[in-house]
Amino acid sequence: MAAVELTSLRKSYGTTPVVKDLSLSIGSGEMVALLGPSGCGKTTTLRMIAGLEVPDAGKISIDGREVDAPGLHLPPEARRLGMVFQSYAVWPHRTVAENVEYPLRLKGLGRAEREAKVKQALGWVRLEALAGRRPDALSGGQLQRVALARALVGDPRVLLLDEPLSNLDVQLREELRAEIASLRSRLGTTMVYVTHDQAEALGLADRVAVMNKGVLEQVAAPQVLYGEPATAFVARFVGGANVLEGVSDGTSVRIGATVLTCEAPLTLPTGRGQLVVRPEDLSVTPGDGPLLTARLFLGGATEYHFNLGEHALKALAPASAELQMGSPARVTLRRARWFPL
Amino acid sequence: MRRLALAAPLLLFALLPLGRLVAEGLGHLDAIATAEARRALSGTLLTSSGAALFAFLLGLPLAVLLVRTDLPARRALRAIFTLPTALPPFIFGMGWVALANPKAGLLNLALGEGTLDIYGSAGIAFVLGGCGLPLVVLAASASLERVDASLEEAARLCGAGPLRTLAHVSLPLALPAALSGAALVFLFSASAFGVPYLLGVTASPPTTTLTTHVYGLVLMGHGGLASAGAIALVLLTLASAVLLASRLASRAGRVRLSSGKGIKLRPLALGPWRAPLGVAAIAIAGVLVALPLGAVFLTSLEPSFGRLENLSLQHWDRLLHTPRVAEAALRSVGLSLAAAALVTLLGLAYAVGRTRLGNVGRALELAAAWPYAVPGTVLGMGLLLTFSMDWRVVIGGKLTFVLALANTLWLVLIAYTARHLAFGVRHASDGLSQADPSLTEAARVCGAPPLRAFLDATLPQLKAPLAAAFTLTFLTCATELTLSVLLVPTGQDLLGTVLFELMSYADPAAASVLAGGFVLIVLTVLAGRTLLVRRPA
Repeated sequence: MAAVELTSLRKSYGTTPVVKDLSLSIGSGEMVALLGPSGCGKTTTLRMIAGLEVPDAGKISIDGREVDAPGLHLPPEARRLGMVFQSYAVWPHRTVAENVEYPLRLKGLGRAEREAKVKQALGWVRLEALAGRRPDALSGGQLQRVALARALVGDPRVLLLDEPLSNLDVQLREELRAEIASLRSRLGTTMVYVTHDQAEALGLADRVAVMNKGVLEQVAAPQVLYGEPATAFVARFVGGANVLEGVSDGTSVRIGATVLTCEAPLTLPTGRGQLVVRPEDLSVTPGDGPLLTARLFLGGATEYHFNLGEHALKALAPASAELQMGSPARVTLRRARWFPL
Repeated sequence: MRRLALAAPLLLFALLPLGRLVAEGLGHLDAIATAEARRALSGTLLTSSGAALFAFLLGLPLAVLLVRTDLPARRALRAIFTLPTALPPFIFGMGWVALANPKAGLLNLALGEGTLDIYGSAGIAFVLGGCGLPLVVLAASASLERVDASLEEAARLCGAGPLRTLAHVSLPLALPAALSGAALVFLFSASAFGVPYLLGVTASPPTTTLTTHVYGLVLMGHGGLASAGAIALVLLTLASAVLLASRLASRAGRVRLSSGKGIKLRPLALGPWRAPLGVAAIAIAGVLVALPLGAVFLTSLEPSFGRLENLSLQHWDRLLHTPRVAEAALRSVGLSLAAAALVTLLGLAYAVGRTRLGNVGRALELAAAWPYAVPGTVLGMGLLLTFSMDWRVVIGGKLTFVLALANTLWLVLIAYTARHLAFGVRHASDGLSQADPSLTEAARVCGAPPLRAFLDATLPQLKAPLAAAFTLTFLTCATELTLSVLLVPTGQDLLGTVLFELMSYADPAAASVLAGGFVLIVLTVLAGRTLLVRRPA
């Protein structure tokens, strides 16, 4: 049975549609990441699952029971979920332990049971030592761990995470990402994870749902998403691919005045279409072709920028002393995908 | 139902009095054609524009110096210059009577009898301008704090010296805000009652203003009430016109000054001008704030007015043992606490209602704002006219509600609450808009129903603004004068009316004891709050 079932969800703010006809099924114990640029509707979708937003149309079921349907809206407090917010949302007037205890108090649990569960939950996020502290004495990473403990302590049916790491600096982000992964394997909680960071989504989730302008572009396992993007948008957003409109004759692609040739054995369908090629799938050698406009040394490799008329092309290749700024280069395709128009 | 519950008190105690005042006033327009009424109007116009001009000319350069430069003792000076907002202007008026009374004023004792005369229009404008100064300083400062220091640094690099930079760059940037601050000083002065009464009525020739004229007419009893309403209507019209004009002007002159990045406020080095300008600012603060307050304390210690020998606490001792004063103090404290509690609670209710009820909520907020926006005399007259008779509401021919508020403390409580409701709404709205909604949402997801989530997660975030609204209301009501003199029931004095009576008629030393005591309380509260705020997190 699906833990969360979204059926034809729609939501608009005023006349602006934010989520358009979205359907998604999330299995029990599964972790699904909602990935997309800001404004794509991913947070709105998560907030509808939480009950914080009311869908305009469509249905939401949790553990097989409808919580949203035409004429039905179960308020958030009746859904038995846990949620972690981008802004931590740790109550500043309560200690760490009191924050974590709050859901248990609302459930009416006895004192001994509450204390035991709070202790356990703080143990999960390694915060036992800070139980009596006030939130204003905590760092961002610690605050987000308090929020995690609070969201998990009541044994939620689904844990919702809304960009939980985006307010943290790089090092803390990686630390907490590992923590969330280990918590998940330990507790087996179903999770829905909203993020705009593809590394987070690909690294953590069983399946990634890529959203764009309120529509699901592709739902797939991370490897599939990366290897076989279903749309040009997914390729660009997930792999950072170049997306160029042009005409293909099977072994080369003409983009404006520039021709990019395929290295054998690569062949492409013929006709007008969108060429999707990752920077690391391009070879760059001195020769006649597009002009090099920028060169960024990244350590292991160098990023080369070329000017293709109205498009810019990014390539990732070993550093080459022969390539000069403003000089032409020969750019060839080792691997690419083609979406006919 | 909820809408009705929120709207009813406003309809009854804010909008009904306004309507009643307009109706009564329009019915007695002959009262505004008299010579006294014309004198009162010109008195108000003269003293208020004088006060506004004085506050503007002094406040604008002060704000520039305090916000943008390395003037010595900036923080202390800012605190001193904003102090008058926390004290009733009447107390400053008393201080100036003690200092510049032509016969026995302390300054005249030093400078020679009759050198200075605080009585009359010029004195009223001076005292009110000094009390209104913070309005200009605060408005101009707020606008200057949004200006990036790079604007001034650019002028320095172009070759301008510090004074030229301030005059050509900083001053023009603060000008629109300072002008709307000056309009507020005009409103504040036109609304003032205590100072023009104290310094105008006994001047020769007497200076009357609209507010003191209204009071005079009300004292005449029932016959004068309707005429007083007509004069109050003139005051309302004047105040509304000024308010509207300043709103329009500030909308037209609004500049977006802040860039997206964090604003750098590097103080401009005044160089050789630092010491002389610092001394000048300290001297002005001394004259406008320290001198009159000091004079009040001194008067409370003098054996008789204007005599500096044998200072003693005999007046303090005498007043503390006067039952009438103790009763008035008790009554005032009780009323002010009740009004502060009501203002805080209702303010919260209206602020929440505004976010939930859409247009109805906005209309309610506007209705809640008007009793504060108009002069106190206008609100007082409205309530007086409306509730001078009993209201009977008969429901279904059986249940009868009688609202008999005339000559009761209840009407004073209603007036205090209606007058300051805007504080409560403003503070609660600001608090709500700064409150983090995800804290409340987190409580909902944890299993709290809406009301519980509000109490557990939203309300704790509003503690500071609600406490500020409570304190502010309490302090202003404790010595409130303008509404009190109109509405106080006979034989039930309040602190403000006792102070007014002692000062105006009989016993300036006793009045100074009361005023001095109040200044001490306010300073203690302010100091306590500063210490609490500065406590490290």
